[in-house]
Amino acid sequence: MLERFISVSSEEEALAQLNAHGEELQILAGGTDLMVQLQQSGQRTRRLLHIEKIPGLQKISYNGETGIGALCTHRQIVESTLLAHYRSLRQAAAQVGGWQTQMVGTLGGNICNASPAADTLPPLLVHDARITLVSQARGSRVVDLEKFLLGRRHTDRHHDELVSGITLSQPPERGSDIYIKVGRRSATEVAIVGLAACVALDEHRRLIEDVRLAVCSVGPVPKRLYEIENLIKGQEISDSLLDEAGEMLLELIEPIDDVRASKKYRAMVAPRVLREAITCCAQNASG
Amino acid sequence: MELTFKVNGHPERLELEGHETLLDVLRDDLNLTGTKEGCREGECGACTVLVNGRAVDSCIYAAMAAQDMEIETVEGLATSDGLNSLQNAFAESGGVQCGFCTPGFLMMLTALLDKYPHPDRVQVRDALSGNICRCTGYAQIEEAVERCIRQRTIE
Ligand SMILES: Cc1cc2nc3c(=O)[nH]c(=O)nc-3n(C[C@H](O)[C@H](O)[C@H](O)COP(=O)(O)OP(=O)(O)OC[C@H]3O[C@@H](n4cnc5c(N)ncnc54)[C@H](O)[C@@H]3O)c2cc1C
Ligand code: FES
Ligand code: FES
Repeated sequence: MLERFISVSSEEEALAQLNAHGEELQILAGGTDLMVQLQQSGQRTRRLLHIEKIPGLQKISYNGETGIGALCTHRQIVESTLLAHYRSLRQAAAQVGGWQTQMVGTLGGNICNASPAADTLPPLLVHDARITLVSQARGSRVVDLEKFLLGRRHTDRHHDELVSGITLSQPPERGSDIYIKVGRRSATEVAIVGLAACVALDEHRRLIEDVRLAVCSVGPVPKRLYEIENLIKGQEISDSLLDEAGEMLLELIEPIDDVRASKKYRAMVAPRVLREAITCCAQNASG
Repeated sequence: MELTFKVNGHPERLELEGHETLLDVLRDDLNLTGTKEGCREGECGACTVLVNGRAVDSCIYAAMAAQDMEIETVEGLATSDGLNSLQNAFAESGGVQCGFCTPGFLMMLTALLDKYPHPDRVQVRDALSGNICRCTGYAQIEEAVERCIRQRTIE
């Protein structure tokens, strides 16, 4: 009989299982999404491939670029000194549920679950995250996070692939980043609106040299806001510029009514969060 | 399939199907009903236990994922001398009313104090953000933590 729960302790073992039975296997990392989904659906037939204990995927490293293993937990990210310059990511990880969720929930799980409200996705997007996928048959490939996220709970992962890690771009000089989450009970509540910004100033610390923005919870997939970035780049921050950016934001997002907030509230709060994020980053970068 | 692990220091061996939660195994197979079931979806913290020292919501943790691990539940806190200092502090500060949430709070705080013996108030609140109590209003629970830290410093 095929086992319902297969535990592997190395990447090679995981890839061999995925190669042989990928279509029937459901990867289980910390299980903070999957176990809830399994219990709610009463589904007991899927076979679980438990990867949580693969030591090679639990590390945060730096050699020329910053890499985060797929199995790094949110708590690990919050406490990592190597991620000091990725404040937005640490801020997001610190707001993924309570400590119990953060101690077990992984970055790879947050990405692969591809929830419209996934908190780590906006910060990862502003740091141009790239996802490494590995399979036994085809080796490894690297995909931009943006291209990896295909839709609500839908990614570009093939059945035989494992997400092994995430790499981030160098943080810009004279830059600062932030993640702002609006939720009813900030720590454990899923985001009503989440927005990450990364802003770098020019040598005179006056003009915005580089800006990257991304949102979650206001559309089916977390996404970058390139149109607003292009509007702001090269400009000096002013009230009118921020007003214009806020209006543009409303064109770019698709807020909906749900149990957590109304469409109207989301549309009201999102431009304010954008304004606050850009202003804070510019202030921090100027100091 | 077989699960072998240690619960409060005792080796256990069970036959499971594979999808069971750690909470159900503790309560139904091992009769350790001190760990409570509140929401069954990771929101309330009533089911918090320690898995190799990490505080996890056992209602959404796969029992099979605890293979070869050491589990600590609220039943393991008291010693032969009676309640431990954290439990005593809860009793003395009025941190227990209906008591349903208490095992979860005790286990989360055990994990916190193991790692940070002198947490500040912000850390305590942060660590407890995944534990819900509908009776005490939390003030007494915070007071219990402070009382426990004072007591442990004296000892
Ligand atoms: C009470 C509670 C509160 C929460 N609050 C938040 C919140 O505020 N914000 C938020 O963003 N999320 C929240 N979550 C969701 C969840 O905790 C996160 O998404 C977490 O990061 C998921 O990681 P995991 O390891 O537990 O994933 P799992 O549940 O193990 O897996 C999630 C999905 O990803 C797949 N997967 C996991 N790892 C890999 C891999 N390496 N390669 C390929 N596929 C993989 C799995 O097959 C599954 O489909 C909350 C969950 C709970 C229970
Ligand atoms: S019963 Fe597990 S968190 Fe509520
Ligand atoms: S004492 Fe009753 S829920 Fe906490």
